[in-house]
Amino acid sequence: MPDKVKTKMIRVHIMGKEHLVPEGLTIMKAMEYAGYRFIRGAGCRAGFCGACGTVYRLKGDYKLYFELACQSAAIDGMSLTQLPFVPANKATYTVRLIKETGNPILKFYPEVARCVSCNTCTKACPQQLEVMDYIQAALKNDIEKAAKLSFDCIQCGLCAIRCPAEIAQYHVGQLARRVYGKFVKKSNQLNKRLNETNKGKFNSELDELMKMDKAAIKQKYTERDLESLAKKK
Amino acid sequence: MEIINGYPDYMRESINEVVKTRQARLKKTFTPMTMDERKQVLDKFHPDYKAEGKRSLAIGPNKGKVTLSEVADLLEAHPIISPKDINLSQIDYDVDVLIIGGGGAGTVAALWASNNGTPVDKILIVTKLRHGDSNSMMAQGGIQAADRPQDSPVKHYLDTYGGGHFSNKPELVRRLVTEAPSIIRWHVTRGVLYDRDENGDFMELSGGGTSRDRLHAAKDYTGMEILRCLRDVSRNRKIPVLEFTSVVELLTDGDRVTGAVLYNMENEQYSIIRARATILATGGFGRLHVQNFATTNHYGATADGLVLAYHVGATLRDMDTAQYHPTGAAYPEQLVGLLITEKVRGMGAQPLNIDGKTFVFPLEPRDVEAAAFIRECYGRKKGMVTSTGMSGIWLDSPMIEILRGEGAIEKNLGAMHRMFQRFGIDMRKDPVLVFPTLHYQNGGVEIDVEALTSVEGLFAGGEVEGGVHGKNRLMGNSLLDYNVFGRAAGISASEYAKKTKPGKLSLKHLEKYEKSLKDAGIKTKRRAPILLPEYRGKEALSRSIDIDKVVYA
Amino acid sequence: MKIPYYPGCTLKAQGLGFETSAIASAKAVDIEMMELQRWNCCGTVFSLASDDLMHYIAPIRNFIRVQEAGYDKVVTLCSMCYNTMKRANLLVKNDSEKLKTLNDFMYREEDYKGNVEIVHLLELLRDEIGFETISKKVIRKFNELKVAPYYGCMLTRPKEVGIDDWEEPQIMENLITALGAEVVDDPMRGECCGAYHTVNSKDLVAERTRMIVTSAKNRGADIIVLSCPLCEFNLGTRQKDTIEIYSDFSGIPVLYFTQLMALALGMGKEVCRFDLHYVDPRPLLIEKGIIEEGEEKNAR
Repeated sequence: MPDKVKTKMIRVHIMGKEHLVPEGLTIMKAMEYAGYRFIRGAGCRAGFCGACGTVYRLKGDYKLYFELACQSAAIDGMSLTQLPFVPANKATYTVRLIKETGNPILKFYPEVARCVSCNTCTKACPQQLEVMDYIQAALKNDIEKAAKLSFDCIQCGLCAIRCPAEIAQYHVGQLARRVYGKFVKKSNQLNKRLNETNKGKFNSELDELMKMDKAAIKQKYTERDLESLAKKK
Repeated sequence: MEIINGYPDYMRESINEVVKTRQARLKKTFTPMTMDERKQVLDKFHPDYKAEGKRSLAIGPNKGKVTLSEVADLLEAHPIISPKDINLSQIDYDVDVLIIGGGGAGTVAALWASNNGTPVDKILIVTKLRHGDSNSMMAQGGIQAADRPQDSPVKHYLDTYGGGHFSNKPELVRRLVTEAPSIIRWHVTRGVLYDRDENGDFMELSGGGTSRDRLHAAKDYTGMEILRCLRDVSRNRKIPVLEFTSVVELLTDGDRVTGAVLYNMENEQYSIIRARATILATGGFGRLHVQNFATTNHYGATADGLVLAYHVGATLRDMDTAQYHPTGAAYPEQLVGLLITEKVRGMGAQPLNIDGKTFVFPLEPRDVEAAAFIRECYGRKKGMVTSTGMSGIWLDSPMIEILRGEGAIEKNLGAMHRMFQRFGIDMRKDPVLVFPTLHYQNGGVEIDVEALTSVEGLFAGGEVEGGVHGKNRLMGNSLLDYNVFGRAAGISASEYAKKTKPGKLSLKHLEKYEKSLKDAGIKTKRRAPILLPEYRGKEALSRSIDIDKVVYA
Repeated sequence: MKIPYYPGCTLKAQGLGFETSAIASAKAVDIEMMELQRWNCCGTVFSLASDDLMHYIAPIRNFIRVQEAGYDKVVTLCSMCYNTMKRANLLVKNDSEKLKTLNDFMYREEDYKGNVEIVHLLELLRDEIGFETISKKVIRKFNELKVAPYYGCMLTRPKEVGIDDWEEPQIMENLITALGAEVVDDPMRGECCGAYHTVNSKDLVAERTRMIVTSAKNRGADIIVLSCPLCEFNLGTRQKDTIEIYSDFSGIPVLYFTQLMALALGMGKEVCRFDLHYVDPRPLLIEKGIIEEGEEKNAR
């Protein structure tokens, strides 16, 4: 085992206030170290929920950076704020009733047509998604592309707060994915299995399993054939 | 110390060993353990099997039952409110179905209560974070449903029951596995985009302890894709949600649950809700850091539901176990404890020790796999030890691209790839270091097959309930659980609400609870529910390096 | 010849038949139009304020896409896209400071060097292929079908971007003649269709439609042919609103020049998408003996 590394302290400016925190913490843990207790601004703490969108600048650099506080390290000299909430109107729709003709996305989010392709949304995305490209895909009615390019969206809303055309991109992506779901090919296997279970095909076998004593069912469990092993052979 | 592509040079030496053995390992798989071997490694190395981590409960319906100490601490604690401080005469919200928790189970319960005829404005979801913030959102690998011709609900039953060491409630397992295909159908009609092949059938993988490839995935964002879609349905339907509001106590009329005391986390105000039926959908307990383990769980996973239910006299079960996911990140420091989905192993990555050697079948049930990792690190001292003293196992992720072609990781494991890339590690080229992490509350509030708890008027769905998984849950059964029993709870509560009248509201059960604490001679300053974990100041540090405090003989 | 092709958004929705008929008929005269892998909206409507750089980003980003693909020429179909992109291109070619500002703003992209040309398909047909060559490939007879070309604003104005003389254009007339149809000379061919007023002032657009369509019809035209999905919407779909306001109005079919070309070159069924037009041209085409009865049933 290597020697334990001595921790260096770094300076971070949290909403303008300077704090000394140990190097190597995430922004979220650095804020907690500095004494903040999150009510908003923390959710899954693992990069999936989009609660901890954070905006910062670095010393001597005009650029704005966008990260998830739980998924990136605090940097010496950074000046940060969290954006735990983004005001954005979600359209109300029933996907089942949406028609395939025309451009369903423009119907619910006509502001998509205001996109000037400035790409600011893409620069603001902490997931590094091609946000502008999926908005442009939505604009030209390429729903499959909009759904696929937006798939990894965690809905933090940083795009929507930066957009000069005032589009709520993450809501548009959600609609595109749900509409795309209508077009994908259906699973025959699933339908077949549903028919079988509806007819009670497995009931007697399940009854039998539930009646077995522990020893018998343990035996049965041990004797299962494993598909993952069969493939290796 | 030089860092090369995210790893310091002392770790690079071990990575070189991994690379050396890779070609030979591609063709070989370690033999699965026999039942006896499983028992041995569990007994000696699984945290659940350490007597020091548990104690016998002194009060309540589970009095005398062995319970994890961290949970017992919360159950043997004073309530955070006192009856004399709460004015119950003014009802702020009056609903048919109250749902506590806004994650997967809560959302599903609300939708099905609504489908079952409860008016939308008579449903209320209360959640202490935002709607959707939950473990459900974070699930990566997939959801089980036996829909392939070579598979069947019977096989799914056997896998689940055996994986749970035959301690599950059989009737719950049966409902879980038989309703699984209908849950998948419900999802796809709402627009959930599961991975499919060119025929429209699902691309299904195997998970630890499953005898068939049965996991339906949406890349490695499965939980997120399901829940954001269902949440969208719920929002379109205008189901009311109170965010940043926790339930600090249930109310009863003496026999049945009739409402709850709400606490607004932001303005710190209390309010009163009267409900004909109440559903617990509060999720699990990862943020209790059982035995000091890091956790994969979301910020609010503090076992509130167990405490609320226990206060009103509900029975718990299987609270002597916790699920440790074998593969939590062990490096870099910032990611410690975060989940590396089981799908990484499902797609072909092998676990290896510091010498680059295999030591366990990659897809044992989770508890067995985790115990084998701990044995390798602490029993055999063959773990890779990091600069913060954490010992870990290599997960040879580059094998995935060798077995499944270039681009397989970016396509199927985008979240994992992105997470490591943020810290300079490319999992397509280098293995990642893992160690078991606290993942799931196997047991919980006991329910029957209709999702009713032992207390009238109180239903439960999702991670908070117990019985479905027994003492160990299989991968892909948690997403299924919250859908099947969230739906059951929603429908049962809606039916119950139709047949019943609003009840009287009282906190008398707290007096009883305080008395039982006193009678048991428990003197403590502890209060529960805790609502949020304490991470301020030095806690932020200790949490990130706490696993090395755990000592294994 | 192979050339990158910029479709524009409308061609992927209402203007589907414009695109499919264009790609097919271009191919018949040896032009392979290859859609750009990535492209965005053209910016729709060139901004006349010269400091309004935000609105130049969209067209310039598209030129970067062409440049990235290793080409120096791109073809388009929609008059609006053509006009917007050509004018933005001219602006940055003549103003290196503005180009630098735009490049700095788009720092994630490679710099646009200003070397890409945008051309309209009509120009390619005239200058690269030649109308004479096209006329030799005509298979289908138009049987004295009378066609009024309609230019609208965007193809010919302002004159520095026009594809032909801005007052007396002949490019569509020559194409129509080469395809074997009869040209109807119509003074309204360069009038504005009402453009975006269609969103807020249907009445205004209905008045324009009445004027333009009636003029063509009074001069004997069987159909109008044009090159812009927005004009097609206003002159075609808006005929419905026009009838509601002017009860004596009766319309005629409005087609894209590429549909006429596809018909002439022997195609029709698969590529023209006549079903997407408000005034269905098929009864007329059957009556004139241009397509056969029954043929139109498969025209989707």
